[in-house]
Amino acid sequence: MSRQHSNEDQREIAHPEQYVFTPPIDIYETDAGLVLYADLPGVSVGSLELQVQDNKLTLLGKVEPQIPEGARPLHREYEVGNFLRSFILSGEIVHSEIEAKLANGVLRIFLPKAPKAEPRRIQVNTG
Amino acid sequence: MPIFRWEQSWNPLRDLEREVDRLIQGVEFSVQGIRMPRQYPAVNIFELDHEYLITAELPGMQVQDLELTIANGVLTLKGHRNPPVIDDGEIAEERFRRQERTFGEWQRSISIPDRISDDRLSAEFNEGILKIHLPKLEEEQARQIPVSSGE
Repeated sequence: MSRQHSNEDQREIAHPEQYVFTPPIDIYETDAGLVLYADLPGVSVGSLELQVQDNKLTLLGKVEPQIPEGARPLHREYEVGNFLRSFILSGEIVHSEIEAKLANGVLRIFLPKAPKAEPRRIQVNTG
Repeated sequence: MPIFRWEQSWNPLRDLEREVDRLIQGVEFSVQGIRMPRQYPAVNIFELDHEYLITAELPGMQVQDLELTIANGVLTLKGHRNPPVIDDGEIAEERFRRQERTFGEWQRSISIPDRISDDRLSAEFNEGILKIHLPKLEEEQARQIPVSSGE
């Protein structure tokens, strides 16, 4: 579940004149499912779009300008832009039960796995 | 005589950094588009009419884990970022499918200009963005210096 968009795709979705960054992520697996963390500094609940379509999960975090108008840059080490990344979900993820939480610029997504079906005994009858 | 450039007071090692940049750019990083600042955290500095503003991205940090100090014209930012846990325990290495984020202790010092009102410094931390406001000192009146003849 980790294929990314090509850069061309990313630019079509976001504003062409703005920077679009791929946020760093961690993914770990538990018995219940997958947990995904993404660093999205400057993204608020209202400016985050999370979408599942078919088997693709897309996150788009919009970052509003943080600097008052008229501020003159003296020294710049990082650029501000939107965050975009998408993932292919494996078939075992239950789409309707995906949960997401955003705090201090970090998004946490829980992707629950469908419970494994119990082995079913098949009765064999004699002809 | 060298011409004084204001920006130099922020970054006296700029030429060296540029040279190091040039060397580093020759190295291919496998993960494209992910920002890897050499110094953590990366900061932007702005000037406004009444203050200087320093911003830094510190996602996942808690306010209580941040420490800002100022002494002798040097502002020091210090903190630590804890990795995620399950059931209050560390997540076993083999559970990870992907690990791109970094954790741990960090510290960064920034020289600030002289004409700052130290006691009116303020900082805010929202959505993983730290903003430090450094108010400028009120402009002092130009002072006349009497010149006496040496007779």
